[in-house]
Amino acid sequence: MSSFEDAETEETLTCLQMTLYHPGQLQSGVFQTIRFYNREKLSSSQMVKFGRNSNICHYTFQDKQVSRVQFSLQLFKDFNSSVLSFEIKNLSKKTSLIVDNMELGYLNKMTLPYKCMVRFGDYQILMEKEDGESLEVFETQFILSPRSLLQENIWAQHYPIPENGNYSSSSTQSTSPTEMDENEL
Amino acid sequence: MEKSLTVLQVTLYHSTQGPTAFTNVPSRLQHDTSPLLVGRGQDAHLQLKLPRLSRLHLSLEPYREKGSTLLSFCLKALSHRGCVWVNGLMIRYLEQVPLSTVNRVIFSGVQMVIHIDWGVSLEAFVCCFHLSPSPLIYRPEAEETDEYESSPQEQPPLVSREATPGHLGFLQGPSQTQDSSPQQSSRGETEIQLQRELTDGALC
Repeated sequence: MSSFEDAETEETLTCLQMTLYHPGQLQSGVFQTIRFYNREKLSSSQMVKFGRNSNICHYTFQDKQVSRVQFSLQLFKDFNSSVLSFEIKNLSKKTSLIVDNMELGYLNKMTLPYKCMVRFGDYQILMEKEDGESLEVFETQFILSPRSLLQENIWAQHYPIPENGNYSSSSTQSTSPTEMDENEL
Repeated sequence: MEKSLTVLQVTLYHSTQGPTAFTNVPSRLQHDTSPLLVGRGQDAHLQLKLPRLSRLHLSLEPYREKGSTLLSFCLKALSHRGCVWVNGLMIRYLEQVPLSTVNRVIFSGVQMVIHIDWGVSLEAFVCCFHLSPSPLIYRPEAEETDEYESSPQEQPPLVSREATPGHLGFLQGPSQTQDSSPQQSSRGETEIQLQRELTDGALC
């Protein structure tokens, strides 16, 4: 019998896809340590930290405007559910973390929606979760966006704004259209 | 002026091994705002030498509720095999529950009562550990108590909140009980009455 036939049944993995954009990404190399398009497996019990300090953070941004530890992601499971969810926590004392329209201060945390925009400083991260079966490990994948996720309206493209300017009440996105300009970033 | 730290008064009891289960437990442990890991492994911040314990069994995670200036805590189960009872609720791997002022936790034969004294610092928190010579929790499941059930003769010995200086000491005996009427905590939760007497059996 071949090892293929004897092997453990493969489980699908929960995957968090993160599309990154920073206005200075080409000039300053803020994402030079990020391995784009690579799927990385991580333990489900691991707290994944993002920030500037490579001794503390799993994913680092080469930017002195980023806090040594900016934010963390960790998985949890709702009661009687087989689905893993992500929780995001702001670990920066100086910078707010904005998840869709929710502003998180230092040590505030919230459950990530299936698709959401995370912003801090000039950074934009579109986070999209794909459910999997495994409770042991999950995957991350980074994609580099060549253009602003806000200006190009990529974030809201699946939720078009009707002529009256209101989103559908069933939308999981912002309840009102958001106009952004450079001063707000 | 230094900001006061939140203190977790943690009282421990083991159903079969007694105080020897906690020989490595310090009397005081200060920790930053990362999750405090409890388990058998070397990665655990609070290491308990118990064979039925997972290398990482649970974590105590500080966080801040939106709009609050104080730390809150949640307890998350990190053991693939074992479970953790928290305030009458059984949680399994990666499930988590927020903690209130007084919390009853049971795992791997360990009974743990966590009483939170809130401080204003958001930099760190402190765990003060105490050993109990007698059981702390009557049964793991949630229980409702009312005036009829809590007759004066059955008042439980509540956990001493005094840290034992210098070494890990035992709690005061039953004669050192406090007023055990249901207390409204500073954060609005009704404190849980801790019952003596336990049939730990095959808990987690």
